[in-house]
Amino acid sequence: MFYREAGDFKTTYTQDSQTFPIKFDRIRYYLVLAFAFLVVPFIINDYWANALILPFLIYAIAAIGLNILVGYCGQLSLGTGGFMAVGAYACYKLMTSFPDVSMFIHVILAGAITAVVGILFGLPSLRIKGFYLAVATLAAQFFLVWLFNRVPWFYNYSASGQISAPERDTFGILITGPNAPAWMTYLFCLIFLTVCALIARNLTRGSSGRSWMAIRDMDIAAEIIGVNPLKAKLTAFAVSSFFVGISGALFFSIYLGAVEVGEAFSIQKSFLVLFMVIIGGLGSIFGSFAGAAFLVGLPVALKVLGVDILGWPTDIVSHIQLIIVGGLIIMFLILEPHGLAQLWNLTKEKLRLWPFPH
Amino acid sequence: MKLKLTTLALGAVMAAGPVMADLVFPALSYRTGPYAANGIPFADGYQDYFTLLNERDGGIGGEKIKLMECETGYNTEKGVECYESLKGEGSLVFQPLSTGITYQLIPKMTADGIPMHSMGYGRTSAKNGEVFRGIFNYPANYWDGASAAVNHIMDVDDIKGKTIALVYHNSAYGKEPIRTLEELSKKHDFNLTLIPVDHPGQEQKSQWLQIPPRKA
Repeated sequence: MFYREAGDFKTTYTQDSQTFPIKFDRIRYYLVLAFAFLVVPFIINDYWANALILPFLIYAIAAIGLNILVGYCGQLSLGTGGFMAVGAYACYKLMTSFPDVSMFIHVILAGAITAVVGILFGLPSLRIKGFYLAVATLAAQFFLVWLFNRVPWFYNYSASGQISAPERDTFGILITGPNAPAWMTYLFCLIFLTVCALIARNLTRGSSGRSWMAIRDMDIAAEIIGVNPLKAKLTAFAVSSFFVGISGALFFSIYLGAVEVGEAFSIQKSFLVLFMVIIGGLGSIFGSFAGAAFLVGLPVALKVLGVDILGWPTDIVSHIQLIIVGGLIIMFLILEPHGLAQLWNLTKEKLRLWPFPH
Repeated sequence: MKLKLTTLALGAVMAAGPVMADLVFPALSYRTGPYAANGIPFADGYQDYFTLLNERDGGIGGEKIKLMECETGYNTEKGVECYESLKGEGSLVFQPLSTGITYQLIPKMTADGIPMHSMGYGRTSAKNGEVFRGIFNYPANYWDGASAAVNHIMDVDDIKGKTIALVYHNSAYGKEPIRTLEELSKKHDFNLTLIPVDHPGQEQKSQWLQIPPRKA
C-alpha cells in the first residue's frame, strides 16, 4: 500500500539510479539519519554508549570493510583482527607523535596506513584463492599481532606493552579519555560510519564494485571480458583495509581507550567480524549493519535477561549465551544462508504486495 | 598513609550514599573463558566472604552487603560493559580482576570518583597515590614480587653471574615485572632470560625446554 514503485515517476537518469528508488525507503532513510543525528545525542548515556552503541557503530564499519572484500570481491580474509590492530597502533603512534592534530585526521590517516598494509598482504591473492588465501590472511593476522607485541616502538616502550589513548579534543570538545561526553564519542563514530557506508554503497554500485563482483563470480570470465584482476583485487583489499583500519582506530581510541594487542585483536576478532558479515548477508551493506547489531546486541540482551531479570548465576548465563549464539548461527546458515539482509529483502518483496497479495 | 587513604575513600563513599539500603560490592569475575580455572575459586571466595560477613556480623557496621556479580570472561570489552552497568548501582569499590580491564578502567574510575582495588595485579605505578588517587594495589604488586623473589634468592645463594629465567604471560599481566628484573639484573649482576608464553598458554613445553637444566 505505502511501499510501492507505482506512481513514483523517474524523469532523469540521476533519479533512476538513486540508492533508494522507492519513496517510502527514502523517507525512512532520512528519518533514521535524522533520529541518529538529532535525537540520540540528547538521550544517550554512558551505559548505552559504551555497552551497545559504540561497539555497534565500530563493528559495523569493520563489517562493511570485510563485506567489500569477502562479500563483493570474494576474497576470503581471516586477517581482520590484525588489520584492526594496524589501525589502532597507527592511530596511537599518530596521536602521541602529533598531539595537536585533529582526531578526524588521525583516524583517516590510520585507515590509510592500514590500506597500505592491506595491499601488501593482498598481493598473494593474485596467485592463490579460496582456502589457501584464507590461510595467507591468517598468517597476516598472526604476524601483525606478533609484531605489535614484539617491537616496543609500537607501544612507546610502555612497561605493560599496552597502548593507552591520551586525551584529545576535536573542536574544543574532548573526544578520547574518560571525560569525553558520551554524545561526542557517539557522534564521532556515527559520522565515520555514515560516511563509510555512503562511500561503500556508492563504490559497490559503480564500476569498481562491478569489477569486484565480476571477479567474485568467476575470475577467469571477468579477466576475459576485460576486468583487470590485479586492480580489482588490490583495490578491494585497499578499500576493505581502509574501513577496517578506521574501525580499529575508533575501537582503540574512542571505545576502549586502552588495548592490548593479543587480547583485543586476536583471531577471535577476525572470526567475530566474519560472522557478522555471514549472518548479516554477504554482499550487502545493510547486512553489515544487521550482522553487527545482531552480534553486539545479542550477548548484552541475553545477559540482561538472564542475570538482571531472571537472576541466574552469571557463569550459567555466560555459557547459555555461547550455546544460543552458536545455535542461532547454525540455524541462520541452514534456514537463510543469505543472512539477515535476505530476510529484509523478502520482507520488502512482501510489503510491495501487502495488503492484497494476488 | 595508604590505609588512611582507603578509609577516607571508603568513608567518603559511604557518607555520599546513605540512601542506599545495602552496601554494594561489584564482583567482576571470570568464571568462563581460558582462565576460568583460577577465576572460579576467587569469585567463590569473594562471594563467600561477604556471605560470611552478612550471616555472622549482619553486614558491615549493621549494613547488609549486596554482592553484584558480572561475568567478564577475562575479556576487556565485557569488562567495560560490566563496569558501565554496575557503576550506577552505588558500587563502593571495583575489583577488575584482570590487568587489561584495570588499565581500561583506571581513567574512567578516576573520572567517576569510584575507588578501585587491584590486589597484586594491575598498574604498578598506581601505587603513587599523588597521581592515582582512587586506585589501590595493596598488599603487593608486580615490582614488589620481582624484588622479593630476587632478595630471597640472594638470601639463599650468591646470585652473581647466575641466570634467572622469567617465563611470563605475553600480555600486560605478565610483562610488568620485566623492567624491575632488568634493573635488578644490572644492579646485582645476574643474567635475565625472558621467555614469553602466548595466550592462552596451555602448551608451554617449548618455553620450558629453553631453560637449560642446572648443572649439579
